[in-house]
Amino acid sequence: MIPESEFENILAKKYMRTEIMPHAFCPGCGLGIIERIILMAFEELGWDEWEKTVFVSGIGCSGWVPLYFRRDAAHTLHGRALAFATALKASRPELNVIVIMGDGDSMGIGGNHLIHAARRNIGITAIIATNMLYSLTGGQMAPTTPEGARTQTTPYGSIEPNFDLMELLKAAGATYLARWTTYHFMQAKNSLKKAIKHKGFAAIEILFQCPTYAGRYILNKPDPRDMLQWFKENSVPLTVAKKKDPEELKGKILVGEFLHRTDRVEYTEKLKELEKRAKGG
Amino acid sequence: MYVEPGIHLMQGDEAIVEGSLIAGCRFFAGYPITPATEIAERMSRRMPQVGGVFMQMEDELASILAIIGASWAGKKAMTATSGPGYSLMQEGLGYAILTETPIVITDVQRGGPSTGLVTLPSQGDVMQARWGSHGDYGIIALAPSSAQDMFDLAIRAFNLSEEYRNPVVILADEVIAHVREPVKVPPLEEIEIVERRKPSVPPEEYIPYLPDPGEWVTPMPAFGEGYNMLVESVMHDEFGHRIGTDHVAAERTIKRVYYKIEKNVEKIAMYETELMEDAEIAVVSYGSTARTSLRAVREARKLGIKAGILRLITLWPFYDKIIEDIASQVRAIVVPEMNMGKIVREVERAAKGNAEVMSLPKVGGVLHHPDEVLSAIKKAAR
Amino acid sequence: MAATRVNQIAVSDKLCKGCYLCIWACPWNVLEISEERNWRGVKKPVATKIENCRACRLCEYYCPDFAIQVIVDEEEEKEILEVEERYEKPWLRRIERRNEIVSRGVWWLES
Ligand SMILES: Cc1ncc(C[n+]2csc(CCOP(=O)(O)OP(=O)(O)O)c2C)c(N)n1
Ligand code: SF4
Ligand code: SF4
Ligand code: SF4
Ligand SMILES: [Mg+2]
Repeated sequence: MIPESEFENILAKKYMRTEIMPHAFCPGCGLGIIERIILMAFEELGWDEWEKTVFVSGIGCSGWVPLYFRRDAAHTLHGRALAFATALKASRPELNVIVIMGDGDSMGIGGNHLIHAARRNIGITAIIATNMLYSLTGGQMAPTTPEGARTQTTPYGSIEPNFDLMELLKAAGATYLARWTTYHFMQAKNSLKKAIKHKGFAAIEILFQCPTYAGRYILNKPDPRDMLQWFKENSVPLTVAKKKDPEELKGKILVGEFLHRTDRVEYTEKLKELEKRAKGG
Repeated sequence: MYVEPGIHLMQGDEAIVEGSLIAGCRFFAGYPITPATEIAERMSRRMPQVGGVFMQMEDELASILAIIGASWAGKKAMTATSGPGYSLMQEGLGYAILTETPIVITDVQRGGPSTGLVTLPSQGDVMQARWGSHGDYGIIALAPSSAQDMFDLAIRAFNLSEEYRNPVVILADEVIAHVREPVKVPPLEEIEIVERRKPSVPPEEYIPYLPDPGEWVTPMPAFGEGYNMLVESVMHDEFGHRIGTDHVAAERTIKRVYYKIEKNVEKIAMYETELMEDAEIAVVSYGSTARTSLRAVREARKLGIKAGILRLITLWPFYDKIIEDIASQVRAIVVPEMNMGKIVREVERAAKGNAEVMSLPKVGGVLHHPDEVLSAIKKAAR
Repeated sequence: MAATRVNQIAVSDKLCKGCYLCIWACPWNVLEISEERNWRGVKKPVATKIENCRACRLCEYYCPDFAIQVIVDEEEEKEILEVEERYEKPWLRRIERRNEIVSRGVWWLES
């Protein structure tokens, strides 16, 4: 029998900075499941891939995700992770660059970098952790907050419509897109593996339970178990959604693989070509 | 690949590009802005020729974050901008400081505030260069006065940024960026290039932010080399781990990023003096203003006034000692600047009342006329 | 699916925050909230019906804190210890060295 006092799951022992754990997330916070999704993907991709991987994140609860990995990680500025990551990838195309951002981080303050990274189709894997609000600052409206929802800055209900990240990035030029929730950890892991291997800008949106703020303010479900149950009951796979009329899909979370294009050349491949031209080759 | 050794007629922005490439710069990110655009344009042509990467980013915040990212990818990296862009970069500058990331930022100053005087020179950003980002830190800022300086200081800036693992700002202005002058390019083997120090211990023994006794900074691995770096913008300890409320650990980190520059001012400071041996009146000047000031000082000598000039090349860290020495020698110090009087405050402080300090401000986008400086010298000599 | 013989379901005192997602996730009602609080004030889940466990690991997958592991047999126990030796322990040694140095006082704060 293994003693339980200082025990850590084998994935944590293998991949994480256990000396700074337990992590700072609230009990039941889905960001820990997102960490697990990432590590499970690498369990399958293998240690060699892990050793080629580096992480970049922005500021927000979600920005802390990679800080617990025993791997190179840059905890950048609010909204700016993709700018750092773009240069990292352009300078070292052989690395897997994984960027983890919050919904506010990526679509609010960092929206400009997000669309331009997609436009360039640079080979970065972006994980967008959506909890429908700003949580690190205490539960304010985000660009993903559903219209009508009450948050700390929308006490009368939000009057702003929310972004649909999949549509936004499809238009901007991303070449791999998927959305899952933390309930769908297995599917999310499979999409993530594909995204890491994909040559081009890949984004995976993962809705996760933030019991502390989204649970209390938006869903009226302060228990993380109820939030996961809600994800389970309110998500509709794309394949099923296609057969339903839009009325039925109101308020539902569409999940699945939204896009997988191979017709656009990845940015760093073009950079190599450009260098050849510049050198007169 | 590089510009041939010898004397070339070069514009300031061309010189800074060629100097940077020789210094080892292999990543440039920027966003067009007058009067710094030419640097980006030249970089877009030259960078791929030397095997580097040029990127036009979506804004200046992206530009500075990009060069920080490139630096952690193991590249020497630079950006160039002007006032509005430099203001946008301040948050990123702080990130580079706290994470001890070597980068070089060129600010080709133009008149502000705001969008300001787009095409005209200024020295209005000298205090922003010192204090622009929030919090406490040390910074190095260099002020070129000629196309030759643009070449030499580009190399010096990269060297200093590597040595101190800190951002270095080159505070040029519109005049210096566009002036066309002969630039002497020495043979490569005569140019001192500081390469990045890499850790010599295995990753598990490396403590990322704890320098050996007597050292100010640690060697810096690149991403992907197995050192599992944490490049943490939140206040961090010696491992790069976030500090919650450990104020003792926070103090260690803040004081090091402050002192590593401030306490090495003797090594970092560069200046030039002319006609100072017997001077009774000193002009303290920098950047393009130093060019007019030198003329005025020579004119003053012709009139029998014992005037001399101190040209500050390093603006930050501010070299108090040289001002102290001069103040104890001369009666008065004249400080012409293309702003409402900024560096003069430092001069006044360092002079400790031993000499009269006279500010000679100039705003609106024109250089001082040598006569203006001359009449200030005359006034000081009375 | 018949129940698997499972040696141990370890729940970490260090990591468990008592969110009970593991209990929510378990299809076989293996886990229950314990009566007592541990030293961190958490009433950990305990495997009261370990004989029902199918080793499906859903409890592990949904645990956000890497606190729980279904340790099927000695083989798995050995694997955990091996991973600990190889991947975790080498990185823990430098902590003491740092602590020792900073407790003596770092050089740039002296004088
Ligand atoms: C420039 C700047 N503005 C504001 C903040 C404060 N801030 C920190 S995190 C955050 C929002 C985080 O929300 P999100 O990106 O959705 O991440 P979450 O915490 O929800 O995971 C804000 C506004 C900041 N750190 N920097
Ligand atoms: S506030 Fe929300 S997102 Fe942040 S750690 Fe707590 S539960 Fe997670
Ligand atoms: S899911 Fe994990 S943290 Fe939550 S109660 Fe179970 S073991 Fe503890
Ligand atoms: S492995 Fe499956 S059956 Fe066993 S405790 Fe976990 S969830 Fe329940
Ligand atoms: Mg959020």
